[in-house]
Amino acid sequence: MAVHSITVKQILSRVRQVFPNAPEAYVMNLINDALVEVGMYNSKVVHAKISTAADQMWYDLKDAAKDSSNNILEVNKVFRVYFMDNDGDYILIPRLLDKDLLLTDVSSESVLQSPDSR
Amino acid sequence: MASNIKYPENSCRWFIEGDSLCLITNVDSEGDANTTARKNWKAIQEAVTDGILLYYYAEPNGVSSLSDVPDIDNSLHLALVDYVKRCLYMDKAGQSADPNASTVSTSVSMQHQRRWDEAVKRFGMKKRDKTGGMRSILPHSLT
Repeated sequence: MAVHSITVKQILSRVRQVFPNAPEAYVMNLINDALVEVGMYNSKVVHAKISTAADQMWYDLKDAAKDSSNNILEVNKVFRVYFMDNDGDYILIPRLLDKDLLLTDVSSESVLQSPDSR
Repeated sequence: MASNIKYPENSCRWFIEGDSLCLITNVDSEGDANTTARKNWKAIQEAVTDGILLYYYAEPNGVSSLSDVPDIDNSLHLALVDYVKRCLYMDKAGQSADPNASTVSTSVSMQHQRRWDEAVKRFGMKKRDKTGGMRSILPHSLT
């Protein structure tokens, strides 16, 4: 049985039952706003691989950040992280609750936000 | 290329700070424990191709043409109609010169807001949960 899903055109036609003059571009913008909000919940679960660099502590998860295959990550919430062990297997690693580390590194600080120059 | 870390579950930790993932370890690039107790936890000291595997909630792809199908489970597609109507009714309420019409528009907008919230936030994830069957707990083997 084919999965029933609706296209933007069908959403627009349902909306135009009550708002006949609803502009197409505006409705499409609203759909995109809704998709951003849906993305906060577990609507799309994705996995990605990132390569580590020696002595790099911070790894970028901004909207435009990329994985090791150069795909855009588009991360909203990370809920599981694995690290490759010496056999090449991925092993789940725990999340640290106490973030007050004594030591930090300067080599990867460019990943973090820095003050604007203006 | 595998890493030199034998037990990442004991030797590695992660946390999120803003838009960045912090990855630390208490072993050096040879897999030996860091000797300085004060500076025990440091950055991973080796380059490992595809060393980190992340699981995360991602941003669905946006739509740009009428033939696009929204990049979310089809059970949430109708909720998008509610979201759009909610916004349009609220716009209408703001534009209307007649207070009664404005009140009606606001209340219909709230109704669509409720349906959106229920579909996406309140029940959406439970309804879409692909886990079925009886609830039971299978403990780890202690041997």
